Amino acid sequence: MFRTLSIIGFIVCFMGIAVCCIASPCKGCGWRPGQILRRLVHLFTMLFVEQRLNLIGVLRKLVYLLALLCFVVLAVTGFGPRLFFDKTISGYWLMLHATFAPVFAVCLAVLVVMWASHCRFTGSDWPWLQRLIRRVILAKTVSEKTGGARSGLGRKITFWLIVVLALPLIISIISSMFTLFGTYWQELLLDTHRYIALVLAMVIIVHTYLMIRTQMR
Amino acid sequence: MQVGLTHWQFLQLFGRHIPSGGPGELESNNPDERKRGDELVRSDISGKLEINCLSCHNAHPGQDHAEYAVQIARQNYRWAAAAACEFGSVKGIAAAQIDTYDPLMGDAIATTYRENTFDHLKKVFFDIVRKVPNERCYFCHSNLDLSKDGSEKWTADEDVLLAAGLSCVDCHRNGLDHNIIRGYEGEDAASKNPLAASTTCEGCHTEGRLGAPVPEHPGIPPVHFEKLTCTACHSGPWPDQKTYRTKTSRAHALGVHGVKKTDEMLPHIMSPVFARQHDGKIAAHKLLWPAFWGSLKDKKVTPVSMEIVKRTARRVIGRRMLLPSGDWPALTAEHITKALTLLSSNESMEGEPVYICGGKLYRLDESGKLREPEEHPAAQPYLWPIAHNVRPAAQSLGVRRCEDCHSTDGPFFFGDVAVDTPVVSERDSVKKMVEFEGIGAFYAWAFAFSFVFRPWLKVVALVSAGLIGIVLLLYGLKALACVVKTLAEGD
Repeated sequence: MFRTLSIIGFIVCFMGIAVCCIASPCKGCGWRPGQILRRLVHLFTMLFVEQRLNLIGVLRKLVYLLALLCFVVLAVTGFGPRLFFDKTISGYWLMLHATFAPVFAVCLAVLVVMWASHCRFTGSDWPWLQRLIRRVILAKTVSEKTGGARSGLGRKITFWLIVVLALPLIISIISSMFTLFGTYWQELLLDTHRYIALVLAMVIIVHTYLMIRTQMR
Repeated sequence: MQVGLTHWQFLQLFGRHIPSGGPGELESNNPDERKRGDELVRSDISGKLEINCLSCHNAHPGQDHAEYAVQIARQNYRWAAAAACEFGSVKGIAAAQIDTYDPLMGDAIATTYRENTFDHLKKVFFDIVRKVPNERCYFCHSNLDLSKDGSEKWTADEDVLLAAGLSCVDCHRNGLDHNIIRGYEGEDAASKNPLAASTTCEGCHTEGRLGAPVPEHPGIPPVHFEKLTCTACHSGPWPDQKTYRTKTSRAHALGVHGVKKTDEMLPHIMSPVFARQHDGKIAAHKLLWPAFWGSLKDKKVTPVSMEIVKRTARRVIGRRMLLPSGDWPALTAEHITKALTLLSSNESMEGEPVYICGGKLYRLDESGKLREPEEHPAAQPYLWPIAHNVRPAAQSLGVRRCEDCHSTDGPFFFGDVAVDTPVVSERDSVKKMVEFEGIGAFYAWAFAFSFVFRPWLKVVALVSAGLIGIVLLLYGLKALACVVKTLAEGD
């Protein structure tokens, strides 16, 4: 069941991103090889080329990149055995997963502290939220001019979703390491960890996509 | 038959610890299994060793299986059951009678019954019970762990199931077909006993049958139940850095009169050895290193007939080499070389003569010198799973902490399994437990090492979660304040 849901979830997630890319490409983005190459170089420079940031900015960026790396490792080691081999995580997969997990937890905590203020919802987000809801329910909208960052709302929503999901994700697996819960509750905690990880992974993928879109503008 | 044992010889060697029937009653039309001329004559005197129902179903404390073993040694097969029961005794020795002795006419072997056995109507009371008492099982199914605390029975704790009031047959049930349940997981696939699936550890302990407590296993990740059997944590002696030697009823003739009781008596059985079973789970086992002379042909080793070995080995390994303790004689490379040379000159040998011991195969090269010992499937140890004595939950592996097993020097993964061998130069060799578990040694070590950092993992994760929780709470309260303010403004 979990395997099926994971596969469906990731397919839906990536398809949604692909549809979004095609339906509303960002300015200057295209699908010609030259444009794709330019985008990849730009992404690469975001990671490695020195940029004009203060110490806090540099720290924030480093922690973000480390968190991203940890997420990739955790996602591969966590979902890989189940998706590709239909086996419970064990062996070296488990060791890698358990090694990167506390690093990811620390990075998340630091990012939450650093970005919470930046990602708080403001008055300028409210019209966009209304517009988003109308779009979702396919109601006719009158175009409204709104100021502020257009896609900031999406990033903020995904940020807070990550924060909300991170808490039970960490607590579910850590509490299973104490001699508090018997087999029934252990399995429940493990299932909780799995399904929350699945949702969190999808949210992080969407969040990362929105971050890249913002940077590309 | 592979080692040249006829049914008759098998009975002589092992009849003491079986309830008879089986080889005691077999008549084979296979010319290879027909008794030798002298055995045919002797079996007419001794009779068949028929099934002895009393060996299990006699509840009287006077049932004496040790006496049964004595009768087997005397070849008094048709009298053995009577001699073992509480009201009969047998005088005479079938093995000492001449070939023409007629057991039906002669009185050299006679059964006498106790005077007050029969009542005034010449009837006798057989205290036969359906539910076999534990004492009947113990004679054939006991073992003695030769631990550092000593090898006396009183130094070991009783099986917790028996201490709780269960009897052996409460779990090991059977019908008239005597298809006795062994109680291992997956037995229903091999057994036609209708209770095979439900009479296992899980069968009782998940449903609370017979008052069995339903275990919580707090703090143990469920993956352990996929990779381990119940017996891995709950059975046998608590593992020590080196495996213990164990003596068993049938291998060491426990309870039989006149048997050597030394700790060094062969065979040397090691326990507990944690090894992977055919179903992929790790379980506790007993282990025996095979030692035999064989012939190698087409990469397969076949044991050589004992008669040939006796004729050959005796010329190399004389009586003076045998130890009074019953331990291995001190075998050297020269002894093995001489014996293999003698075997190779034996005309009845098919294939190349080899010696298997200590997990290795010894053979001669073209020039007649002993080669370096090599690995061979026939030299692999023989393992059989153990389930008793069951230890209570408070004495199961993992009850204290994860490091009971997951430590870099823990016996579960890194305990030493003694390699039992008569070869003097190889006597101290050991194998690590992890080699029998199908797990990479480095992985087991690395995983165990990671447990050093486990407390830090918990602290770091909890602090991070705490921090995230505080931020969530802070902004959640701010959001709530905002909502409250908006609603108040709306009014």
